[in-house]
Formats: sequence, C-alpha cells, structure tokens
Amino acid sequence: MTDFDNLFLKYHHQLFRYTLKFIEDENEALDLVQDIFIAVWEKGQYRDNEDRVKGYLFAGVKNSCLNYIKHQKVVKRFEQHAAIRMKEMEVTYYLSGEQSFLEKEAIQKIDDVIESLTDIYKEVIILSRFEGLKNKEIAERLNIPVRTVETRIFRALTLLKEKISVKSLMLFFIRKRISPEPF
Amino acid sequence: MKQYCFNIIIYKDAVLMIEETKIQNLIARYLNGECSDAEISELLDWCNLSTQNQIGFIQAKDIWDLANHTANRSDQQLIHFYRKQFEQSERSRVILIYRIIAVAAVFVVGLITTVFYPKTPVGSVQQMSVFSVPLGSRSKVVLFDGTEVNLNSGSTLTFPDRYDGNARKVTLTGEGFFKVKSDKKHPFIVKTTDFEVEATGTQFNICTYDNDPFSAATLAEGVVSLRMNNSQQAFSIKPGEKFRLNRLKKNYNQAATDVESELAWKDGEFIFKNIPFPELVQRLERWYDVKLLWSGKNLESYAYTGRFKNQETIWQVLDALKLTTRINYQKISFREFKISYKPNN
Repeated sequence: MTDFDNLFLKYHHQLFRYTLKFIEDENEALDLVQDIFIAVWEKGQYRDNEDRVKGYLFAGVKNSCLNYIKHQKVVKRFEQHAAIRMKEMEVTYYLSGEQSFLEKEAIQKIDDVIESLTDIYKEVIILSRFEGLKNKEIAERLNIPVRTVETRIFRALTLLKEKISVKSLMLFFIRKRISPEPF
Repeated sequence: MKQYCFNIIIYKDAVLMIEETKIQNLIARYLNGECSDAEISELLDWCNLSTQNQIGFIQAKDIWDLANHTANRSDQQLIHFYRKQFEQSERSRVILIYRIIAVAAVFVVGLITTVFYPKTPVGSVQQMSVFSVPLGSRSKVVLFDGTEVNLNSGSTLTFPDRYDGNARKVTLTGEGFFKVKSDKKHPFIVKTTDFEVEATGTQFNICTYDNDPFSAATLAEGVVSLRMNNSQQAFSIKPGEKFRLNRLKKNYNQAATDVESELAWKDGEFIFKNIPFPELVQRLERWYDVKLLWSGKNLESYAYTGRFKNQETIWQVLDALKLTTRINYQKISFREFKISYKPNN
C-alpha cells in the first residue's frame, strides 16, 4: 500500500458519507469524491502533512457540493425549489468553517451511543435509520401516533448530540492528560 | 389582577411549546424525506428567523446523517480510481497496472470488486473482469457481446474484457439470470463449480452459491446443454425445466418447474415454494444482508412457501413468518436475529 492508498482508504468513506448530506444520489456522490481524490493526486497534495490533506479534501468536497447544488438550481428551475435551497443553506453553513460530526471522526462512536439510548428512543432511530421505515410505518409498528414518532425522533437526535459531544470532549480530555507536560 | 397576568404567561408558554413541538415534528418529517416542497419552504423560513434556529436544525440533521450505515465502498472505489488514471494517462501505464493488481490482490476476499486489467493483450494472458454483487443488493451487467446478466446478492461473475473471437466463456458463483445474445457460431458457456451450461441464444437462470448444498439451472426459453465437470455427462434442458444437483447426495433431477417464481428475484420479488427452512434462512440472509441464527430439528422439518416484494424490510418478512408459521424471532444486534421454534400458539 502506498501513502496515497492509505490516505484514500482512511478518508474515502468519511468524505462519501459527508457528500451524501447534500447529494442524495449515491453514484453522483461517489463520482464527486473520486474527482476530489484525482485533484489531490494530480497536484501531488497528498504528500503534504495529513491534517492539511484532510483540509484540502473536505474543502474540495464542500465546494463541489455547492457547485452541484447551484447547478441543480438551474436545471430544476421550478421543481423542488425549497429542497434545493435547503441544501444550499446547509452547505453554506459548513463552508463558513463549521465542522460536521462526520468530519470529526464520530462515525465509529455513533453505534455505541445509539446503544446507550433508552428503548423508546433507540427503537425509532433503528427503525427509521437502519430499517428505512417511514414515520407512518414506525407509528403502525409501535402502535403510537405519528406525532409521537416524530417527537421521539427529534428528542433522540438531541440526546445523541449531547452524548456524542460529551464523548468527544472526554477523548480530548484524556489525550490532554497523557501528553507530556511542557515543562 | 395579578391572577390574570399569571394566566397570560402560562398561555404564552403553552403556545411556545406547541410551536416548538410543531417545528420538531416538521424537522423529523423532513429528515425522513416526508415533507412537501411547501413544508420545506416553511422549515427554511423558520431556519432563516435566527442563527439559533438554523444551528438547531443543522445539528439535528448532522446527527441524523451520522446515525446511518452506508456501505463502505472505499476498496472498490480505490480500484476504480486507479483504473480511471490508467485510462487517462498513457505514460505511466505500466506502474498503474501494477498498482491495480496490487490493490486488487489486497482485497480479494468478499468484495464488491471490479478489476480491469490492461486493454492491450500481454502475451497469452487472458484479460478478465470480475463483477461482484454484495449481499443485500442485486445488479445487472451487459457483457462484451451484448448478453445481459442479472446478478443476485452475493454473486460473482468473471468474464473476458474483450472478445477474442472464440467461444464466449464466463464463470459464475452465486445466482445469475442470463439473456444470451444470439450468435450460433460462438456458443455462450457459463462455468460453475459443478457444471458448464452451453447456449447460443436463450434465457436461463443458474443458482450456484458455494455455501449451498445444491446448485441448479432453470431454462426460460430456447435450448441449453449442461455438462457435468467431473463426469462429462451431458444433459439437454428444455424450456420450463429445472436441473437440480444435490451436492451432498451427489445425485440430480430434471423436472418441470414454475419458471416465474424461479426468476422473480431479478424483478425484486422473493418467491419461494416448498423450500426447507435452512434454504429459506440462507436466501433471506443473502437477500437482506442479515445474520439469522437458529437451531433445532423442529424448524428443519417444515417446508415454506411465500412471496415478498423487494420493498418489504426484514422485520416485515419475519413478522409475516411469525404470524403464519410456528416461528418466533428476537433481535440480537443491528443486523442479527435469533429465530426459535414456537411449540404451540
């Protein structure tokens, strides 16, 4: 494996998942990520230090997503206008420098955090995210009103966010303590 | 007077809470793709009201996006990357060929791999392409000669990249439906671990998973001949017939079958008629990419018949089985279920 291979394998999935935030079509997303790696390969940027390469990769993906969305705006001038504007708002937010959890290597932690939720929240997340059920189908399955499903999904996401943030903070704290004292 | 003010405050709070719940529900609907464009517009307006609203929505969506299991395709994509580079750059071809082969060699096991070797022949080395379909999905390839092949979950098809003018030969493990482009001069041959099927222009299905106790070939249209690998024994299969080899007992039978249900998988339907429980479990595992744990002679002694559409989730299938047969199930982890026998209702 060359350095480039390792870099590709380390960040490809993360970038792919990140792209799916703004572009739902998986094949389009894969093509877009390929183009970013081609740029990094051709310019030889992959030889830089890893933090900087990661920066190039994510910046590249965000810009390409914005361009893609702008193009969509032109192509679908009238249909799904709000949906496209919504995506544009989202990608613009991240372009301003805000980091997504997908950028912060939270992918590995999420399963444990979901496991730690109380059952009523865990089940709506599993049914909607992993089983791909619609809110109405979840309501039927659990025999509760759709509104309750929606409220639970939102509440579950809020809880997950809190738990994930705490986990990241703790990791940061531990790292801090292990690193040698400057004096 | 005081009492009156107090009431108003409570009322205001209640309105705010209702408003908040309404937005939360709207966000949950948006995330699960259930909003009309008008509703999205409403949500967008709400986001634009304040930075706090915007961040609230974006963070909820971020967690939603994080809590997902998208298949990791990085290995396949890396090979794809090198292939693209190879096609584009003339000068570094040789190095890139080695890269592709080296990378491919690292990922031999259980992968969605499309490997392409050089387009110009090197000596007598046959250039082969490998097309694999992961568990839980199905795919379709069109071969060099125009033959169409539908591949079921967990199947691999190996075929030459370029047609060398002789017989058209491909190798299959798993299940595939072949719609062979008619060419009488150049027979189309499918090799499997147990037998070879030869056709000129027909439609047939072959099911030959390595971990199944059987392998089979079903003919929809035309004529095919089937030759056993070890005995050179040959059979001619007629339309509507199925040749089934029992790998354990080493015997076979050839009989009329229900072609429609045999081929339903290629249109995203899952039909099974009188199949034993272990076979049902195998097929569900492949179809849904799940692990189904079970044990017990009781389960084995029944034959199962049923029909599912692709859209149904594994939960719905298991629920259906639970309702109609003496089966109970329990979820163990994300993609793992335990099936048990339910003695009496």
